Amino acid sequence: MISSEEYSENMEEAQETDISILVSDVNNIAIEESEVNKSISENKPLPSSSEQSNSYENLFDQLKGHNKHIFVLSTAGKPIYTRFGNENQLASLFGLMLALMSVTQDSNDTLQSICCGRTRIVFVNKDPIILVGVSQRSEPYDQIKKQLIYVYNNIISTLTLTQLKKIFLNRTNFDLRRLMSGSERLIDKLITFTENDPGFLLDSISCLQMPSNSRDKITQTILTECSKIKNLVFGLLIAQKHIISIVRMKKYSLQVSDIHLILNLINSTESFKTAESWTPICLPTFDSSGYMHAHISYLAEDCQACLVLLTIDHDLFFTLSEAKRKITEKMRRNDCLQAINDAIIRQPLSLARANILGLRHLLYKIKNRSQHWCPPFTLPYNTDTLQQNLMSVYCSLISQMNFPGRNLKVIYQQLTSETIVAWATDEVELYMCFEPMVSKECATNAVTKLTQWMKKEEDSLFIFNIPMF
Amino acid sequence: MKKIKTPILAMALDDNISDDVFESIEEAEVNQNTKNLLTTDTNYDKRPSSTGYRDYKLSSATRKPSDPSLKILHKTILLGDSGVGKTSLLVKFDTGKFQTGNFSATVGIGFTNKIISVDDSKVKLQIWDTAGQERFRSVTHAYYRDAHALLLLYDVTNKISFDNIRAWLSEIRDYANEQVVIMLIGNKADCNPSDRMVKREDGERLAKEYSVTFMETSAKSGLNVEIAFMAVARELLFKKTGIEKKGSFNVQDYVKEQTKSNCPACSTT
Repeated sequence: MISSEEYSENMEEAQETDISILVSDVNNIAIEESEVNKSISENKPLPSSSEQSNSYENLFDQLKGHNKHIFVLSTAGKPIYTRFGNENQLASLFGLMLALMSVTQDSNDTLQSICCGRTRIVFVNKDPIILVGVSQRSEPYDQIKKQLIYVYNNIISTLTLTQLKKIFLNRTNFDLRRLMSGSERLIDKLITFTENDPGFLLDSISCLQMPSNSRDKITQTILTECSKIKNLVFGLLIAQKHIISIVRMKKYSLQVSDIHLILNLINSTESFKTAESWTPICLPTFDSSGYMHAHISYLAEDCQACLVLLTIDHDLFFTLSEAKRKITEKMRRNDCLQAINDAIIRQPLSLARANILGLRHLLYKIKNRSQHWCPPFTLPYNTDTLQQNLMSVYCSLISQMNFPGRNLKVIYQQLTSETIVAWATDEVELYMCFEPMVSKECATNAVTKLTQWMKKEEDSLFIFNIPMF
Repeated sequence: MKKIKTPILAMALDDNISDDVFESIEEAEVNQNTKNLLTTDTNYDKRPSSTGYRDYKLSSATRKPSDPSLKILHKTILLGDSGVGKTSLLVKFDTGKFQTGNFSATVGIGFTNKIISVDDSKVKLQIWDTAGQERFRSVTHAYYRDAHALLLLYDVTNKISFDNIRAWLSEIRDYANEQVVIMLIGNKADCNPSDRMVKREDGERLAKEYSVTFMETSAKSGLNVEIAFMAVARELLFKKTGIEKKGSFNVQDYVKEQTKSNCPACSTT
């Protein structure tokens, strides 16, 4: 059994300090650290009120009400984003973060994380911006770091890396919030996504379950139109959090983390539903240096699937608009719209159908396709809290399984409220949750039985055909 | 197209280039117009115009009237700071609904087609709803040039959005076609009087200064929403078919008349 403590590959040894002490010392530190103090006072004069410390305490009390924080600041110490509270009021806290970073930098070192009791603070320096995650949820270090990278990618996707670097090269003191305005909401939602979605844990996407022949017909329709258009690179059809279909240009492929950003953008932007939209978007994993242009539209009033067409040509709006019209028309004629609607309203495939004794829930990932299936939660996981607990059980299981430099095939763990099994083959990864008292033998049998059952179901659960044009 | 050295002619040509993307009916007209411009018409009308821009000329004088029963496509752009209610105004006009609840910023540009009947003609408005955020500016600029009408919005409860109007107008002057119809709109006029930060008179004064049409609207209550788009449609239609058909049409008078008769409340505020 591996305890999560093994993950503390921190530069700093776990500190005994309590976070509240650190927090209440904010003002002192800001004053003692001459360098930091300078940068703060340059950027934003601190409020000169005598009730300053009092109001800070209130502020930190509010912050302490949440167990997961994400902060983003520039390397000059300017606040860029905080998940809770207001950046302006947290100027001194941002100053403290910068101080901690620069103290370690002075000794030619890099601060990666700090542990204090149950609190873990993770730092990611992506010059010209710094991201800091504070978690009291006993999440592994890699997990928090990955979340911070996602937030970073989201910033890149709105600005491009080239632009970001250029801005801070010209003006180190730039207030990035000016350019970020309106996208804070996207970051908020993205963080929630990283906390709840198995796709984030598994680096995979979830597909809308539908008969494979319907899916092929849809894909073919999109492909036929898309292949006619020069400079069109990707096409995706999305139903809420699930992918229906993907087509792509020869030699190019979409990475999972980029798809997650697109999904988050679609699912957090209500205005896409009111009008056909056209927006620049940077896909950081695909190409962080430049924008692609996305034509985003829902297929029809009576079919709420969202079609995203990505191109490198900023003049292609009307061409894509026309292509979309044709795709919808053709899909309507072929009953594809109906097939999509049926798939959206259909009860998702339940694990109970597999009829495996003692198996409560699972995550099933096809490795080389980066797709997963997460069946709906059933009893006893009927509340949000219980589901979230299960997700964090999965989270630690997944990071144990994929710990770099180790090649585990099976993990069997008996916890107080469930028995969990991780099972990896060359093709799939399985994370299963059983009744607490299930024996190893029984669990092994379940794996065999499930694998057989999945062979029958996987055609509708996964996308096996991602054609090129 | 031949290169032309004379600055005035070049300017006129410029105009034509921006019209190149127009739909077919107009394109035909414009081409005809091109010939006229190249040969004779370089004199600009000195009268103050409805849009009040430098070098404004009554284009219809040299144009053949179109058949009013034909659909005419017009590009209208909604502009203004983030959060002033551009999308809400459009959604109200398009669907009659007001979306309550959370503000969700528009990403990029949203695109809606709407056909309006003006008397016996149909005007097809292609409405571009833009994101107000600074980072989308460069994207929206690209679409200014093709626009026939611009609805420039501010929020009467947000002084900054009003103060930024001058910057918006100068940006419009830089990027938009000089014949573009501009309408200044103070949105959220249904607000609590104590929340109001921009007086109606201030809006009027600014509109007068730039000789643009002005009105206050509310996407929430529906006040003047229809009229705003109708006025644009009428003005655009008039520009097309105007002189032969109606003799004269003044969008500002039209708006004054409409807002007076339909909304006694706001003419008294």
